[in-house]
Amino acid sequence: MPQTLDRRRLLATAALGGVVGATGLGSLAPEAAFAAEPAAVEPGAPDPNFVEGRISKISGHLLLVTGSDTVLHSIRITDGTSIWKLHPTTFDQVAIGDGLYARGVRLPDGTLAADSVWVNIVNLHAHIAAVGRNLLHLDHKGQRIVAHVVPGRSAAVYNGTPAISDLSLLRVGRHVQVLGAWHPDTNEIDIATVYAAA
Amino acid sequence: MIDLIAALQPLVVGAVLIWSARVKLLDRHAATTARRSALARLLGEHRALPAYRLLGGIELALGGLLLLPPARRLETAAATALAVGFLGYLAYARRAAPASSCGCLSSRPTPVAGRSLGRAALLVVAAGLATLAPGDWPAALADRPLAGGAVLLAEAAAVVALSPELDAAWLLPLRRLRARLTDPLRGGTGLPLLATVQQVQLSDSYRRVAPLLRSDVREHWDDGEWRFVGHAARYQGRPVTAVFAVPLADGEPDAVRVAVVDDATGQTLLALSGAGRPAGPRLHVVPA
Repeated sequence: MPQTLDRRRLLATAALGGVVGATGLGSLAPEAAFAAEPAAVEPGAPDPNFVEGRISKISGHLLLVTGSDTVLHSIRITDGTSIWKLHPTTFDQVAIGDGLYARGVRLPDGTLAADSVWVNIVNLHAHIAAVGRNLLHLDHKGQRIVAHVVPGRSAAVYNGTPAISDLSLLRVGRHVQVLGAWHPDTNEIDIATVYAAA
Repeated sequence: MIDLIAALQPLVVGAVLIWSARVKLLDRHAATTARRSALARLLGEHRALPAYRLLGGIELALGGLLLLPPARRLETAAATALAVGFLGYLAYARRAAPASSCGCLSSRPTPVAGRSLGRAALLVVAAGLATLAPGDWPAALADRPLAGGAVLLAEAAAVVALSPELDAAWLLPLRRLRARLTDPLRGGTGLPLLATVQQVQLSDSYRRVAPLLRSDVREHWDDGEWRFVGHAARYQGRPVTAVFAVPLADGEPDAVRVAVVDDATGQTLLALSGAGRPAGPRLHVVPA
Protein backbone atom coordinates (compact mmCIF):
# COMPACT_ATOMS: atom_id res chain seq x y z
CA MET A 1 0.00 0.00 0.00
CA PRO A 2 2.76 2.53 0.81
CA GLN A 3 4.19 1.63 -2.59
CA THR A 4 0.93 2.54 -4.28
CA LEU A 5 0.80 5.81 -2.37
CA ASP A 6 4.38 6.68 -3.32
CA ARG A 7 3.69 5.85 -6.93
CA ARG A 8 0.54 7.93 -6.95
CA ARG A 9 2.35 10.84 -5.35
CA LEU A 10 5.04 10.60 -8.01
CA LEU A 11 2.48 10.50 -10.82
CA ALA A 12 0.45 13.34 -9.34
CA THR A 13 3.52 15.50 -8.95
CA ALA A 14 4.49 14.77 -12.54
CA ALA A 15 1.05 15.69 -13.85
CA LEU A 16 0.68 18.85 -11.79
CA GLY A 17 4.31 19.96 -12.02
CA GLY A 18 5.55 22.42 -14.56
CA VAL A 19 5.54 21.83 -18.26
CA VAL A 20 8.31 19.47 -19.25
CA GLY A 21 9.32 19.89 -22.83
CA ALA A 22 10.14 17.22 -25.28
CA THR A 23 13.32 16.24 -23.45
CA GLY A 24 12.74 12.56 -23.15
CA LEU A 25 10.14 12.18 -25.81
CA GLY A 26 11.59 13.47 -29.06
CA SER A 27 9.22 15.13 -31.45
CA LEU A 28 5.84 16.11 -30.02
CA ALA A 29 3.97 16.22 -33.30
CA PRO A 30 1.22 13.60 -33.36
CA GLU A 31 2.71 12.16 -36.53
CA ALA A 32 5.74 11.01 -34.57
CA ALA A 33 3.60 9.01 -32.20
CA PHE A 34 1.87 7.34 -35.12
CA ALA A 35 5.25 6.02 -36.18
CA ALA A 36 4.43 2.85 -34.23
CA GLU A 37 3.73 -0.17 -36.41
CA PRO A 38 0.18 -0.22 -37.73
CA ALA A 39 -1.88 -3.27 -36.89
CA ALA A 40 -2.01 -5.56 -39.91
CA VAL A 41 -5.52 -7.01 -40.00
CA GLU A 42 -7.01 -8.32 -43.21
CA PRO A 43 -10.44 -6.85 -43.90
CA GLY A 44 -13.06 -9.36 -42.79
CA ALA A 45 -10.57 -11.54 -40.93
CA PRO A 46 -10.82 -11.91 -37.15
CA ASP A 47 -8.67 -9.46 -35.25
CA PRO A 48 -5.77 -11.55 -33.89
CA ASN A 49 -5.28 -9.09 -31.04
CA PHE A 50 -8.77 -9.55 -29.61
CA VAL A 51 -10.20 -12.41 -27.57
CA GLU A 52 -13.63 -13.00 -26.09
CA GLY A 53 -14.84 -15.89 -24.00
CA ARG A 54 -15.30 -17.24 -20.51
CA ILE A 55 -12.55 -17.99 -18.06
CA SER A 56 -12.16 -21.71 -17.44
CA LYS A 57 -8.91 -21.64 -15.50
CA ILE A 58 -6.63 -19.16 -13.78
CA SER A 59 -3.01 -20.13 -13.15
CA GLY A 60 -0.75 -17.39 -11.90
CA HIS A 61 -1.20 -14.51 -14.29
CA LEU A 62 -2.36 -16.72 -17.13
CA LEU A 63 -6.07 -16.97 -17.95
CA LEU A 64 -7.42 -19.89 -19.92
CA VAL A 65 -10.44 -18.68 -21.85
CA THR A 66 -13.00 -20.62 -23.88
CA GLY A 67 -14.33 -18.49 -26.73
CA SER A 68 -17.98 -18.54 -27.73
CA ASP A 69 -16.82 -20.47 -30.82
CA THR A 70 -15.27 -22.99 -28.34
CA VAL A 71 -11.72 -21.99 -29.34
CA LEU A 72 -9.32 -21.98 -26.39
CA HIS A 73 -7.22 -18.89 -25.77
CA SER A 74 -4.61 -18.11 -23.16
CA ILE A 75 -4.28 -14.54 -21.95
CA ARG A 76 -1.39 -13.18 -19.96
CA ILE A 77 -2.12 -10.39 -17.52
CA THR A 78 0.89 -8.07 -17.31
CA ASP A 79 1.80 -5.20 -15.00
CA GLY A 80 0.40 -2.80 -17.58
CA THR A 81 -2.94 -4.53 -18.14
CA SER A 82 -6.03 -2.54 -17.31
CA ILE A 83 -8.81 -4.66 -15.81
CA TRP A 84 -12.40 -3.46 -15.92
CA LYS A 85 -15.11 -5.16 -13.91
CA LEU A 86 -17.83 -2.53 -13.58
CA HIS A 87 -14.97 -0.13 -12.82
CA PRO A 88 -11.17 -0.22 -13.13
CA THR A 89 -10.12 -2.91 -10.69
CA THR A 90 -7.37 -5.39 -9.89
CA PHE A 91 -6.56 -8.92 -11.02
CA ASP A 92 -7.71 -10.56 -7.78
CA GLN A 93 -11.31 -9.55 -8.61
CA VAL A 94 -11.31 -11.80 -11.69
CA ALA A 95 -12.92 -15.21 -11.12
CA ILE A 96 -13.40 -18.48 -12.97
CA GLY A 97 -16.66 -18.41 -14.91
CA ASP A 98 -16.42 -14.71 -15.71
CA GLY A 99 -16.83 -13.66 -19.30
CA LEU A 100 -14.34 -11.25 -20.82
CA TYR A 101 -13.23 -9.22 -23.78
CA ALA A 102 -9.47 -8.75 -24.03
CA ARG A 103 -7.31 -6.68 -26.33
CA GLY A 104 -3.55 -6.90 -26.50
CA VAL A 105 -0.64 -8.23 -28.49
CA ARG A 106 -0.09 -11.82 -29.63
CA LEU A 107 3.14 -13.32 -28.35
CA PRO A 108 5.02 -15.80 -30.58
CA ASP A 109 3.58 -18.76 -28.60
CA GLY A 110 0.01 -17.65 -29.34
CA THR A 111 -0.67 -16.20 -25.91
CA LEU A 112 -2.36 -12.82 -25.89
CA ALA A 113 -0.46 -10.35 -23.72
CA ALA A 114 -3.42 -8.26 -22.66
CA ASP A 115 -3.35 -4.48 -22.68
CA SER A 116 -6.97 -4.19 -21.56
CA VAL A 117 -9.43 -6.71 -20.19
CA TRP A 118 -13.12 -6.02 -19.74
CA VAL A 119 -14.67 -8.62 -17.45
CA ASN A 120 -18.36 -9.54 -17.81
CA ILE A 121 -18.98 -6.43 -19.91
CA VAL A 122 -22.38 -6.28 -21.63
CA ASN A 123 -23.93 -3.72 -23.96
CA LEU A 124 -27.72 -3.88 -24.20
CA HIS A 125 -30.44 -2.00 -26.00
CA ALA A 126 -33.61 -2.40 -23.99
CA HIS A 127 -36.78 -0.82 -22.71
CA ILE A 128 -37.34 0.04 -19.08
CA ALA A 129 -40.24 -2.17 -17.99
CA ALA A 130 -40.26 -1.08 -14.35
CA VAL A 131 -38.09 0.65 -11.78
CA GLY A 132 -37.50 -0.27 -8.14
CA ARG A 133 -35.24 1.06 -5.42
CA ASN A 134 -31.85 1.21 -7.19
CA LEU A 135 -33.17 -1.32 -9.70
CA LEU A 136 -34.21 -1.28 -13.35
CA HIS A 137 -36.25 -4.07 -14.87
CA LEU A 138 -35.32 -4.12 -18.53
CA ASP A 139 -37.21 -5.70 -21.38
CA HIS A 140 -34.57 -6.92 -23.82
CA LYS A 141 -36.18 -8.58 -26.85
CA GLY A 142 -38.86 -10.08 -24.65
CA GLN A 143 -36.40 -11.24 -21.99
CA ARG A 144 -36.47 -9.69 -18.56
CA ILE A 145 -33.15 -8.36 -17.26
CA VAL A 146 -32.65 -7.05 -13.76
CA ALA A 147 -30.18 -4.17 -13.76
CA HIS A 148 -28.81 -3.00 -10.41
CA VAL A 149 -27.83 0.59 -9.84
CA VAL A 150 -24.55 0.64 -7.93
CA PRO A 151 -24.36 3.89 -5.93
CA GLY A 152 -21.11 5.69 -6.60
CA ARG A 153 -20.40 3.66 -9.74
CA SER A 154 -23.42 3.82 -12.04
CA ALA A 155 -23.64 6.85 -14.29
CA ALA A 156 -26.19 8.18 -16.74
CA VAL A 157 -25.68 10.01 -20.01
CA TYR A 158 -28.76 11.96 -21.06
CA ASN A 159 -28.99 13.19 -24.65
CA GLY A 160 -25.24 12.78 -25.07
CA THR A 161 -24.36 15.38 -22.41
CA PRO A 162 -21.56 14.71 -19.87
CA ALA A 163 -22.18 11.77 -17.55
CA ILE A 164 -23.79 12.37 -14.17
CA SER A 165 -24.56 10.12 -11.21
CA ASP A 166 -28.25 11.03 -11.07
CA LEU A 167 -30.32 8.25 -12.64
CA SER A 168 -33.66 9.63 -11.53
CA LEU A 169 -34.47 11.06 -14.98
CA LEU A 170 -34.95 7.54 -16.40
CA ARG A 171 -38.59 6.85 -17.30
CA VAL A 172 -40.56 3.62 -17.41
CA GLY A 173 -41.30 2.59 -20.99
CA ARG A 174 -38.37 4.48 -22.54
CA HIS A 175 -35.59 3.00 -24.60
CA VAL A 176 -32.11 2.87 -23.06
CA GLN A 177 -28.67 1.56 -23.89
CA VAL A 178 -26.94 0.02 -20.91
CA LEU A 179 -23.28 -0.80 -20.46
CA GLY A 180 -22.78 -2.99 -17.45
CA ALA A 181 -21.23 -5.98 -15.76
CA TRP A 182 -23.08 -9.27 -16.00
CA HIS A 183 -23.52 -11.52 -12.97
CA PRO A 184 -22.41 -14.78 -14.60
CA ASP A 185 -25.17 -17.31 -15.32
CA THR A 186 -28.00 -15.02 -14.21
CA ASN A 187 -30.22 -12.46 -15.91
CA GLU A 188 -28.81 -9.73 -13.66
CA ILE A 189 -26.31 -7.00 -14.39
CA ASP A 190 -24.74 -4.08 -12.55
CA ILE A 191 -25.11 -0.80 -14.40
CA ALA A 192 -21.95 1.03 -15.41
CA THR A 193 -23.53 3.55 -17.77
CA VAL A 194 -27.05 4.01 -19.02
CA TYR A 195 -27.61 6.14 -22.11
CA ALA A 196 -31.08 7.65 -22.38
CA ALA A 197 -33.10 10.53 -23.68
CA ALA A 198 -34.46 12.88 -21.05
CA MET B 1 -74.45 -18.15 -10.21
CA ILE B 2 -72.67 -20.60 -12.51
CA ASP B 3 -75.63 -20.38 -14.89
CA LEU B 4 -75.29 -16.61 -15.02
CA ILE B 5 -71.55 -16.83 -15.68
CA ALA B 6 -72.06 -19.46 -18.38
CA ALA B 7 -74.81 -17.44 -20.04
CA LEU B 8 -72.53 -14.39 -20.28
CA GLN B 9 -69.56 -16.23 -21.82
CA PRO B 10 -70.67 -15.85 -25.49
CA LEU B 11 -70.55 -12.10 -24.96
CA VAL B 12 -67.01 -12.21 -23.55
CA VAL B 13 -65.64 -14.65 -26.12
CA GLY B 14 -67.39 -12.83 -28.98
CA ALA B 15 -65.95 -9.47 -27.91
CA VAL B 16 -62.41 -10.86 -27.68
CA LEU B 17 -62.75 -12.53 -31.10
CA ILE B 18 -64.00 -9.36 -32.76
CA TRP B 19 -61.20 -7.33 -31.20
CA SER B 20 -58.71 -9.88 -32.42
CA ALA B 21 -60.30 -9.85 -35.92
CA ARG B 22 -60.05 -6.06 -36.02
CA VAL B 23 -56.26 -6.27 -35.64
CA LYS B 24 -55.97 -8.94 -38.34
CA LEU B 25 -58.30 -7.29 -40.87
CA LEU B 26 -58.07 -3.54 -40.38
CA ASP B 27 -54.63 -2.82 -38.93
CA ARG B 28 -52.22 -1.11 -41.34
CA HIS B 29 -49.33 -3.20 -40.06
CA ALA B 30 -51.09 -6.56 -40.49
CA ALA B 31 -48.60 -7.72 -43.13
CA THR B 32 -45.64 -7.04 -40.83
CA THR B 33 -47.42 -8.60 -37.89
CA ALA B 34 -48.16 -11.75 -39.90
CA ARG B 35 -44.55 -12.02 -41.02
CA ARG B 36 -43.33 -11.66 -37.43
CA SER B 37 -45.72 -14.29 -36.11
CA ALA B 38 -45.07 -18.02 -35.95
CA LEU B 39 -47.46 -18.44 -38.91
CA ALA B 40 -44.52 -17.59 -41.17
CA ARG B 41 -42.64 -20.49 -39.65
CA LEU B 42 -45.64 -22.82 -39.69
CA LEU B 43 -46.99 -22.14 -43.20
CA GLY B 44 -44.20 -20.38 -45.02
CA GLU B 45 -43.48 -16.68 -45.48
CA HIS B 46 -45.84 -16.01 -48.41
CA ARG B 47 -48.78 -17.91 -46.92
CA ALA B 48 -48.60 -16.18 -43.57
CA LEU B 49 -50.57 -13.06 -44.52
CA PRO B 50 -53.47 -14.84 -46.31
CA ALA B 51 -53.73 -17.26 -43.38
CA TYR B 52 -53.67 -14.36 -40.93
CA ARG B 53 -56.45 -12.56 -42.84
CA LEU B 54 -58.49 -15.77 -43.13
CA LEU B 55 -58.19 -16.31 -39.40
CA GLY B 56 -59.37 -12.73 -38.88
CA GLY B 57 -62.40 -13.43 -41.09
CA ILE B 58 -63.28 -16.58 -39.15
CA GLU B 59 -62.89 -14.71 -35.86
CA LEU B 60 -65.12 -11.89 -37.08
CA ALA B 61 -67.86 -14.24 -38.29
CA LEU B 62 -67.79 -16.38 -35.16
CA GLY B 63 -67.56 -13.38 -32.85
CA GLY B 64 -70.56 -11.78 -34.57
CA LEU B 65 -72.58 -14.97 -34.29
CA LEU B 66 -71.75 -15.30 -30.60
CA LEU B 67 -72.72 -11.71 -29.86
CA LEU B 68 -76.07 -12.04 -31.65
CA PRO B 69 -78.45 -14.04 -29.47
CA PRO B 70 -79.43 -16.75 -29.27
CA ALA B 71 -76.06 -18.41 -28.74
CA ARG B 72 -76.40 -21.86 -30.25
CA ARG B 73 -74.40 -24.78 -28.95
CA LEU B 74 -72.84 -25.20 -32.39
CA GLU B 75 -71.43 -21.66 -32.24
CA THR B 76 -69.96 -22.04 -28.77
CA ALA B 77 -68.53 -25.45 -29.68
CA ALA B 78 -66.84 -23.87 -32.71
CA ALA B 79 -65.49 -21.10 -30.46
CA THR B 80 -64.15 -23.74 -28.04
CA ALA B 81 -62.43 -25.51 -30.92
CA LEU B 82 -60.95 -22.22 -32.11
CA ALA B 83 -59.72 -21.36 -28.60
CA VAL B 84 -58.13 -24.81 -28.23
CA GLY B 85 -56.51 -24.20 -31.60
CA PHE B 86 -55.13 -20.87 -30.38
CA LEU B 87 -53.76 -22.50 -27.25
CA GLY B 88 -52.06 -25.21 -29.29
CA TYR B 89 -50.69 -22.67 -31.79
CA LEU B 90 -49.24 -20.47 -29.02
CA ALA B 91 -47.65 -23.48 -27.32
CA TYR B 92 -46.15 -24.45 -30.69
CA ALA B 93 -44.97 -20.88 -31.33
CA ARG B 94 -43.31 -20.74 -27.95
CA ARG B 95 -41.41 -23.97 -28.58
CA ALA B 96 -40.64 -23.73 -32.29
CA ALA B 97 -40.22 -20.00 -32.83
CA PRO B 98 -39.61 -18.31 -29.47
CA ALA B 99 -38.51 -15.09 -31.20
CA SER B 100 -41.83 -14.74 -33.05
CA SER B 101 -44.56 -12.33 -32.08
CA CYS B 102 -47.99 -13.35 -30.86
CA GLY B 103 -49.94 -11.17 -33.30
CA CYS B 104 -53.02 -11.73 -31.14
CA LEU B 105 -54.70 -8.56 -29.91
CA SER B 106 -52.34 -5.89 -31.21
CA SER B 107 -49.80 -5.31 -33.96
CA ARG B 108 -47.23 -4.41 -31.28
CA PRO B 109 -44.48 -7.07 -31.36
CA THR B 110 -45.14 -9.23 -28.33
CA PRO B 111 -43.26 -12.45 -27.63
CA VAL B 112 -45.46 -15.39 -26.71
CA ALA B 113 -45.25 -15.57 -22.93
CA GLY B 114 -47.04 -17.32 -20.11
CA ARG B 115 -49.67 -14.58 -20.02
CA SER B 116 -50.69 -15.11 -23.66
CA LEU B 117 -51.06 -18.82 -22.93
CA GLY B 118 -53.11 -17.97 -19.83
CA ARG B 119 -55.41 -15.78 -21.91
CA ALA B 120 -55.91 -18.54 -24.50
CA ALA B 121 -56.66 -20.99 -21.68
CA LEU B 122 -59.19 -18.52 -20.24
CA LEU B 123 -60.95 -18.41 -23.62
CA VAL B 124 -61.03 -22.22 -23.76
CA VAL B 125 -62.65 -22.34 -20.32
CA ALA B 126 -65.12 -19.56 -21.18
CA ALA B 127 -66.18 -21.07 -24.50
CA GLY B 128 -66.33 -24.56 -22.97
CA LEU B 129 -68.51 -23.30 -20.13
CA ALA B 130 -70.89 -21.70 -22.63
CA THR B 131 -71.06 -24.97 -24.56
CA LEU B 132 -71.83 -27.03 -21.47
CA ALA B 133 -74.50 -24.67 -20.11
CA PRO B 134 -75.93 -22.63 -22.98
CA GLY B 135 -77.95 -19.58 -22.07
CA ASP B 136 -79.31 -16.33 -23.40
CA TRP B 137 -77.01 -13.48 -22.40
CA PRO B 138 -79.43 -10.49 -22.83
CA ALA B 139 -81.99 -12.24 -20.67
CA ALA B 140 -79.42 -13.20 -18.04
CA LEU B 141 -78.08 -9.66 -17.94
CA ALA B 142 -81.58 -8.21 -17.66
CA ASP B 143 -82.36 -10.63 -14.84
CA ARG B 144 -79.40 -9.79 -12.64
CA PRO B 145 -77.76 -6.65 -14.06
CA LEU B 146 -75.53 -5.99 -11.04
CA ALA B 147 -74.04 -9.47 -10.70
CA GLY B 148 -73.85 -9.80 -14.48
CA GLY B 149 -72.04 -6.49 -14.79
CA ALA B 150 -69.58 -7.53 -12.09
CA VAL B 151 -68.86 -10.83 -13.86
CA LEU B 152 -68.29 -9.07 -17.21
CA LEU B 153 -66.05 -6.46 -15.60
CA ALA B 154 -63.97 -9.11 -13.82
CA GLU B 155 -63.55 -11.11 -17.01
CA ALA B 156 -62.65 -8.06 -19.07
CA ALA B 157 -60.08 -7.15 -16.40
CA ALA B 158 -58.67 -10.69 -16.53
CA VAL B 159 -58.35 -10.56 -20.34
CA VAL B 160 -56.64 -7.15 -20.21
CA ALA B 161 -54.33 -8.26 -17.39
CA LEU B 162 -53.33 -11.35 -19.40
CA SER B 163 -52.59 -9.30 -22.55
CA PRO B 164 -48.97 -8.13 -22.71
CA GLU B 165 -49.94 -6.07 -25.79
CA LEU B 166 -52.10 -3.80 -23.67
CA ASP B 167 -49.48 -3.11 -20.96
CA ALA B 168 -48.56 0.22 -22.54
CA ALA B 169 -52.11 1.44 -22.01
CA TRP B 170 -52.48 0.74 -18.30
CA LEU B 171 -49.50 -1.03 -16.67
CA LEU B 172 -46.71 1.33 -17.77
CA PRO B 173 -48.64 4.49 -16.77
CA LEU B 174 -49.25 2.91 -13.36
CA ARG B 175 -45.57 2.06 -12.96
CA ARG B 176 -44.64 5.57 -14.15
CA LEU B 177 -46.96 7.03 -11.53
CA ARG B 178 -45.46 4.85 -8.82
CA ALA B 179 -41.95 5.88 -9.88
CA ARG B 180 -42.99 9.54 -9.75
CA LEU B 181 -44.42 9.14 -6.27
CA THR B 182 -41.60 7.10 -4.75
CA ASP B 183 -38.64 8.28 -6.90
CA PRO B 184 -36.76 4.99 -6.42
CA LEU B 185 -33.66 6.04 -8.41
CA ARG B 186 -32.96 9.14 -6.34
CA GLY B 187 -29.74 9.71 -4.50
CA GLY B 188 -27.03 9.52 -7.15
CA THR B 189 -24.39 12.11 -6.29
CA GLY B 190 -20.77 12.74 -7.00
CA LEU B 191 -18.83 13.02 -10.22
CA PRO B 192 -18.78 9.66 -12.03
CA LEU B 193 -15.51 8.40 -13.48
CA LEU B 194 -17.09 8.40 -16.94
CA ALA B 195 -17.56 12.18 -16.80
CA THR B 196 -13.84 12.56 -16.10
CA VAL B 197 -12.92 10.13 -18.88
CA GLN B 198 -15.17 12.00 -21.31
CA GLN B 199 -13.51 15.28 -20.32
CA VAL B 200 -10.06 13.72 -20.79
CA GLN B 201 -10.94 12.31 -24.19
CA LEU B 202 -12.08 15.71 -25.44
CA SER B 203 -8.91 17.40 -24.27
CA ASP B 204 -5.97 18.56 -26.29
CA SER B 205 -3.62 16.75 -23.88
CA TYR B 206 -5.30 13.43 -24.63
CA ARG B 207 -5.21 13.98 -28.36
CA ARG B 208 -1.49 14.49 -28.23
CA VAL B 209 -0.60 11.39 -26.22
CA ALA B 210 -3.44 9.09 -27.34
CA PRO B 211 -1.32 7.15 -29.87
CA LEU B 212 1.02 6.14 -27.04
CA LEU B 213 -1.74 4.69 -24.84
CA ARG B 214 -2.01 0.93 -24.69
CA SER B 215 -4.63 0.23 -22.03
CA ASP B 216 -8.00 1.41 -20.84
CA VAL B 217 -8.11 3.26 -17.49
CA ARG B 218 -5.85 1.30 -15.11
CA GLU B 219 -6.32 3.30 -11.97
CA HIS B 220 -7.91 6.48 -10.77
CA TRP B 221 -7.90 8.38 -7.53
CA ASP B 222 -9.00 11.70 -6.12
CA ASP B 223 -6.60 13.97 -4.28
CA GLY B 224 -7.83 17.33 -3.07
CA GLU B 225 -9.20 19.31 -5.99
CA TRP B 226 -7.93 16.88 -8.60
CA ARG B 227 -8.82 13.50 -10.01
CA PHE B 228 -6.04 11.44 -11.54
CA VAL B 229 -6.56 8.85 -14.25
CA GLY B 230 -3.71 6.51 -15.23
CA HIS B 231 -3.28 4.54 -18.45
CA ALA B 232 -0.49 2.15 -19.35
CA ALA B 233 1.41 3.45 -22.36
CA ARG B 234 4.47 2.61 -24.34
CA TYR B 235 7.13 4.84 -25.73
CA GLN B 236 10.17 3.64 -27.70
CA GLY B 237 9.67 0.13 -26.34
CA ARG B 238 9.65 1.36 -22.75
CA PRO B 239 6.63 0.81 -20.51
CA VAL B 240 5.42 4.20 -19.32
CA THR B 241 2.40 5.54 -17.47
CA ALA B 242 0.31 8.37 -18.86
CA VAL B 243 -1.41 10.09 -15.96
CA PHE B 244 -4.07 12.71 -16.58
CA ALA B 245 -4.91 15.28 -13.92
CA VAL B 246 -8.46 16.62 -14.12
CA PRO B 247 -9.77 19.37 -11.84
CA LEU B 248 -12.92 18.16 -10.08
CA ALA B 249 -14.53 21.59 -10.20
CA ASP B 250 -13.77 22.48 -13.82
CA GLY B 251 -15.43 20.52 -16.63
CA GLU B 252 -13.52 22.20 -19.44
CA PRO B 253 -11.32 19.87 -21.53
CA ASP B 254 -8.70 22.65 -21.63
CA ALA B 255 -8.07 22.19 -17.90
CA VAL B 256 -6.81 18.61 -18.32
CA ARG B 257 -3.10 18.08 -17.76
CA VAL B 258 -1.05 15.05 -18.60
CA ALA B 259 2.32 13.60 -17.66
CA VAL B 260 4.11 10.65 -19.17
CA VAL B 261 6.28 8.91 -16.59
CA ASP B 262 8.81 6.15 -17.17
CA ASP B 263 7.73 3.09 -15.14
CA ALA B 264 11.28 1.91 -14.48
CA THR B 265 13.04 5.15 -13.54
CA GLY B 266 10.15 7.36 -12.44
CA GLN B 267 11.46 10.07 -14.75
CA THR B 268 8.89 12.47 -16.19
CA LEU B 269 9.28 12.21 -19.95
CA LEU B 270 6.62 14.78 -20.80
CA ALA B 271 4.17 17.05 -19.04
CA LEU B 272 1.56 19.16 -20.78
CA SER B 273 -0.79 21.60 -19.14
CA GLY B 274 -3.94 21.83 -21.15
CA ALA B 275 -4.50 24.19 -24.00
CA GLY B 276 -1.33 24.15 -25.96
CA ARG B 277 -1.50 25.30 -29.53
CA PRO B 278 -1.19 22.32 -31.83
CA ALA B 279 1.92 22.22 -33.94
CA GLY B 280 1.59 22.70 -37.64
CA PRO B 281 -0.47 24.95 -39.85
CA ARG B 282 -3.95 25.98 -38.78
CA LEU B 283 -6.80 26.74 -41.09
CA HIS B 284 -8.90 29.71 -40.10
CA VAL B 285 -12.33 29.64 -41.63
CA VAL B 286 -14.14 32.95 -41.67
CA PRO B 287 -17.85 32.81 -42.39
CA ALA B 288 -18.66 34.76 -45.55
